[in-house]
Amino acid sequence: MNLFRSEEHARRWSQFQPRSEEGFITLAELAGFFGTESRRHMLDGDYLSTWYPRRGAERRTYLEGIGKTSPFWMGTPDPPER
Amino acid sequence: MADTRLMDQAFQRIMRSLVDTGSAPHYAELARALALPAEEGRSLLRDVMAAYPIGWLHPETDYIASFPPLNSLPTQYRITVRGEQRWFAQCGFEATSATWLFPGQTVRVDAPCLDCGDPVTVEMRDGQITWVDPPGAVGHLAFGFGASRGRPYYL
Repeated sequence: MNLFRSEEHARRWSQFQPRSEEGFITLAELAGFFGTESRRHMLDGDYLSTWYPRRGAERRTYLEGIGKTSPFWMGTPDPPER
Repeated sequence: MADTRLMDQAFQRIMRSLVDTGSAPHYAELARALALPAEEGRSLLRDVMAAYPIGWLHPETDYIASFPPLNSLPTQYRITVRGEQRWFAQCGFEATSATWLFPGQTVRVDAPCLDCGDPVTVEMRDGQITWVDPPGAVGHLAFGFGASRGRPYYL
Protein backbone atom coordinates (compact mmCIF):
# COMPACT_ATOMS: atom_id res chain seq x y z
CA MET A 1 0.00 0.00 0.00
CA ASN A 2 2.10 2.77 -1.36
CA LEU A 3 2.04 6.35 -2.51
CA PHE A 4 3.37 7.16 -5.95
CA ARG A 5 3.91 10.45 -7.76
CA SER A 6 1.35 9.36 -10.37
CA GLU A 7 -0.31 6.26 -11.80
CA GLU A 8 2.39 6.12 -14.48
CA HIS A 9 5.08 6.01 -11.81
CA ALA A 10 3.28 3.10 -10.13
CA ARG A 11 3.06 1.21 -13.41
CA ARG A 12 6.80 1.60 -13.87
CA TRP A 13 7.53 0.22 -10.39
CA SER A 14 9.57 -2.99 -10.63
CA GLN A 15 7.03 -4.89 -8.49
CA PHE A 16 3.93 -3.64 -10.31
CA GLN A 17 1.62 -6.48 -11.23
CA PRO A 18 -1.04 -6.26 -13.95
CA ARG A 19 -3.69 -7.36 -11.44
CA SER A 20 -3.03 -4.24 -9.40
CA GLU A 21 -4.23 -2.03 -12.23
CA GLU A 22 -7.42 -2.02 -10.16
CA GLY A 23 -5.44 -0.99 -7.07
CA PHE A 24 -5.34 2.75 -7.67
CA ILE A 25 -7.10 5.10 -5.28
CA THR A 26 -7.14 8.88 -5.14
CA LEU A 27 -5.69 10.53 -2.07
CA ALA A 28 -9.08 12.04 -1.24
CA GLU A 29 -10.66 8.57 -1.27
CA LEU A 30 -7.74 7.19 0.68
CA ALA A 31 -8.18 9.81 3.39
CA GLY A 32 -11.83 8.79 3.63
CA PHE A 33 -11.06 5.08 3.61
CA PHE A 34 -8.57 5.47 6.45
CA GLY A 35 -10.60 8.14 8.21
CA THR A 36 -13.78 6.28 9.04
CA GLU A 37 -15.38 6.85 12.43
CA SER A 38 -13.46 4.21 14.35
CA ARG A 39 -10.14 5.70 13.23
CA ARG A 40 -11.00 8.88 15.10
CA HIS A 41 -10.97 6.99 18.37
CA MET A 42 -7.54 5.36 18.22
CA LEU A 43 -6.45 7.25 21.34
CA ASP A 44 -9.58 6.39 23.32
CA GLY A 45 -9.30 4.10 26.31
CA ASP A 46 -11.77 1.62 24.84
CA TYR A 47 -10.48 1.58 21.26
CA LEU A 48 -9.51 -2.07 21.15
CA SER A 49 -12.72 -3.41 22.66
CA THR A 50 -15.24 -0.92 21.27
CA TRP A 51 -13.95 0.78 18.13
CA TYR A 52 -11.54 -1.60 16.45
CA PRO A 53 -14.21 -4.30 15.98
CA ARG A 54 -16.29 -1.82 13.96
CA ARG A 55 -13.50 -1.14 11.51
CA GLY A 56 -14.13 -4.03 9.14
CA ALA A 57 -17.75 -3.10 8.50
CA GLU A 58 -16.84 0.57 8.10
CA ARG A 59 -14.19 -0.30 5.54
CA ARG A 60 -16.56 -2.47 3.53
CA THR A 61 -19.22 0.25 3.54
CA TYR A 62 -16.73 2.89 2.45
CA LEU A 63 -15.31 0.73 -0.33
CA GLU A 64 -18.81 -0.02 -1.60
CA GLY A 65 -19.49 3.73 -1.60
CA ILE A 66 -16.55 4.41 -3.91
CA GLY A 67 -17.25 1.41 -6.12
CA LYS A 68 -14.32 -0.75 -5.03
CA THR A 69 -16.20 -3.99 -4.55
CA SER A 70 -13.88 -6.50 -6.22
CA PRO A 71 -12.28 -9.33 -4.23
CA PHE A 72 -8.97 -7.49 -4.61
CA TRP A 73 -10.30 -4.63 -2.48
CA MET A 74 -12.83 -6.44 -0.32
CA GLY A 75 -10.34 -9.09 0.75
CA THR A 76 -12.55 -11.95 -0.34
CA PRO A 77 -11.34 -15.01 -2.25
CA ASP A 78 -11.36 -14.83 -6.01
CA PRO A 79 -14.20 -16.75 -7.64
CA PRO A 80 -13.11 -20.10 -9.07
CA GLU A 81 -11.86 -19.94 -12.63
CA ARG A 82 -14.10 -21.53 -15.23
CA MET B 1 -6.59 -14.14 27.09
CA ALA B 2 -6.33 -11.11 29.38
CA ASP B 3 -9.51 -9.33 30.41
CA THR B 4 -10.96 -6.64 28.18
CA ARG B 5 -10.15 -3.71 30.43
CA LEU B 6 -6.52 -4.69 30.74
CA MET B 7 -6.24 -5.24 27.00
CA ASP B 8 -7.68 -1.78 26.39
CA GLN B 9 -5.21 -0.28 28.84
CA ALA B 10 -2.30 -2.05 27.20
CA PHE B 11 -3.40 -0.99 23.73
CA GLN B 12 -3.72 2.62 24.81
CA ARG B 13 -0.31 2.53 26.50
CA ILE B 14 1.36 1.18 23.37
CA MET B 15 -0.33 3.70 21.08
CA ARG B 16 0.39 6.56 23.45
CA SER B 17 4.05 5.56 23.66
CA LEU B 18 4.29 5.56 19.87
CA VAL B 19 2.64 8.96 19.62
CA ASP B 20 4.77 10.47 22.39
CA THR B 21 8.14 9.01 21.48
CA GLY B 22 7.93 7.48 17.99
CA SER B 23 8.69 3.98 19.30
CA ALA B 24 6.68 1.21 20.87
CA PRO B 25 7.44 0.04 24.42
CA HIS B 26 9.07 -3.25 25.31
CA TYR B 27 6.75 -5.66 27.14
CA ALA B 28 8.67 -5.13 30.37
CA GLU B 29 8.00 -1.41 30.12
CA LEU B 30 4.39 -2.11 29.32
CA ALA B 31 4.15 -4.38 32.36
CA ARG B 32 5.67 -1.80 34.67
CA ALA B 33 3.31 0.90 33.43
CA LEU B 34 0.38 -1.35 34.22
CA ALA B 35 1.80 -2.55 37.57
CA LEU B 36 2.21 -6.14 36.35
CA PRO B 37 5.11 -8.59 36.62
CA ALA B 38 7.28 -8.47 33.49
CA GLU B 39 6.28 -11.95 32.30
CA GLU B 40 2.62 -11.00 32.50
CA GLY B 41 3.47 -8.03 30.30
CA ARG B 42 4.81 -10.40 27.67
CA SER B 43 1.69 -12.50 27.75
CA LEU B 44 -0.48 -9.38 27.65
CA LEU B 45 1.43 -8.02 24.66
CA ARG B 46 0.87 -11.28 22.78
CA ASP B 47 -2.85 -11.09 23.58
CA VAL B 48 -3.07 -7.51 22.36
CA MET B 49 -1.29 -8.33 19.12
CA ALA B 50 -3.60 -11.29 18.57
CA ALA B 51 -6.58 -8.98 19.02
CA TYR B 52 -5.03 -6.36 16.71
CA PRO B 53 -3.67 -8.53 13.91
CA ILE B 54 -3.04 -5.64 11.55
CA GLY B 55 0.04 -4.99 13.69
CA TRP B 56 2.90 -7.46 14.09
CA LEU B 57 5.86 -8.39 16.23
CA HIS B 58 9.26 -8.78 14.66
CA PRO B 59 9.53 -12.52 13.80
CA GLU B 60 10.73 -14.73 16.65
CA THR B 61 10.80 -11.82 19.09
CA ASP B 62 8.51 -9.93 21.44
CA TYR B 63 9.44 -6.61 19.86
CA ILE B 64 6.61 -4.56 18.42
CA ALA B 65 7.55 -3.80 14.83
CA SER B 66 4.25 -2.49 13.54
CA PHE B 67 1.29 -1.04 15.38
CA PRO B 68 -0.78 0.75 12.76
CA PRO B 69 -1.03 3.38 11.75
CA LEU B 70 2.50 3.84 13.11
CA ASN B 71 5.55 1.60 12.85
CA SER B 72 8.31 1.16 15.36
CA LEU B 73 10.39 -0.36 12.56
CA PRO B 74 11.30 2.42 10.14
CA THR B 75 9.59 2.48 6.75
CA GLN B 76 9.84 4.90 3.86
CA TYR B 77 6.78 6.75 5.18
CA ARG B 78 8.22 9.42 7.43
CA ILE B 79 5.82 11.42 9.57
CA THR B 80 6.59 14.92 10.74
CA VAL B 81 4.59 16.82 13.36
CA ARG B 82 5.46 20.26 14.78
CA GLY B 83 8.59 20.24 12.62
CA GLU B 84 9.86 17.00 14.17
CA GLN B 85 10.32 13.86 12.07
CA ARG B 86 10.01 11.23 14.77
CA TRP B 87 7.45 8.78 13.38
CA PHE B 88 6.99 6.22 10.64
CA ALA B 89 3.74 4.90 9.19
CA GLN B 90 3.15 1.22 8.49
CA CYS B 91 2.46 1.98 4.82
CA GLY B 92 1.32 4.71 2.51
CA PHE B 93 -2.35 4.07 3.23
CA GLU B 94 -1.96 4.00 7.01
CA ALA B 95 0.06 7.19 6.70
CA THR B 96 -3.19 9.01 5.89
CA SER B 97 -4.64 7.78 9.18
CA ALA B 98 -1.84 9.16 11.36
CA THR B 99 -3.62 12.52 11.32
CA TRP B 100 -6.10 11.12 13.85
CA LEU B 101 -3.32 10.56 16.38
CA PHE B 102 -2.33 14.24 16.38
CA PRO B 103 -5.54 16.26 16.68
CA GLY B 104 -5.24 19.92 15.79
CA GLN B 105 -1.76 19.41 14.30
CA THR B 106 -0.50 19.43 10.75
CA VAL B 107 0.81 15.94 10.00
CA ARG B 108 3.24 15.71 7.10
CA VAL B 109 3.99 12.48 5.26
CA ASP B 110 7.16 12.29 3.19
CA ALA B 111 8.02 9.26 1.11
CA PRO B 112 10.19 8.48 -1.87
CA CYS B 113 8.30 7.32 -4.95
CA LEU B 114 9.21 3.65 -5.42
CA ASP B 115 9.62 4.21 -9.13
CA CYS B 116 11.90 7.24 -9.32
CA GLY B 117 12.87 8.05 -5.74
CA ASP B 118 11.59 11.60 -6.01
CA PRO B 119 9.52 12.78 -3.05
CA VAL B 120 5.81 12.42 -2.48
CA THR B 121 4.47 14.74 0.22
CA VAL B 122 1.04 14.85 1.81
CA GLU B 123 0.01 17.14 4.62
CA MET B 124 -3.16 16.60 6.62
CA ARG B 125 -4.88 18.24 9.53
CA ASP B 126 -7.72 16.62 11.44
CA GLY B 127 -8.38 14.21 8.60
CA GLN B 128 -8.37 16.80 5.81
CA ILE B 129 -5.71 16.88 3.13
CA THR B 130 -4.19 20.36 3.10
CA TRP B 131 -1.26 19.90 0.70
CA VAL B 132 -0.15 17.31 -1.84
CA ASP B 133 3.02 17.38 -3.90
CA PRO B 134 2.97 16.48 -6.71
CA PRO B 135 -0.74 17.13 -7.22
CA GLY B 136 -1.12 13.88 -9.21
CA ALA B 137 0.09 11.64 -6.37
CA VAL B 138 -1.99 8.49 -5.91
CA GLY B 139 -2.39 5.53 -3.59
CA HIS B 140 -1.81 2.05 -4.93
CA LEU B 141 -2.81 -1.28 -3.44
CA ALA B 142 -0.15 -3.57 -4.86
CA PHE B 143 -1.20 -7.06 -3.84
CA GLY B 144 -4.80 -6.74 -2.68
CA PHE B 145 -6.46 -7.34 0.65
CA GLY B 146 -7.09 -10.80 2.02
CA ALA B 147 -4.98 -13.82 2.82
CA SER B 148 -5.71 -15.37 -0.57
CA ARG B 149 -3.66 -12.65 -2.29
CA GLY B 150 -0.51 -14.28 -0.95
CA ARG B 151 1.46 -11.20 0.08
CA PRO B 152 1.13 -8.90 3.11
CA TYR B 153 -1.45 -6.30 2.17
CA TYR B 154 0.63 -3.41 3.49
CA LEU B 155 3.56 -3.93 1.12
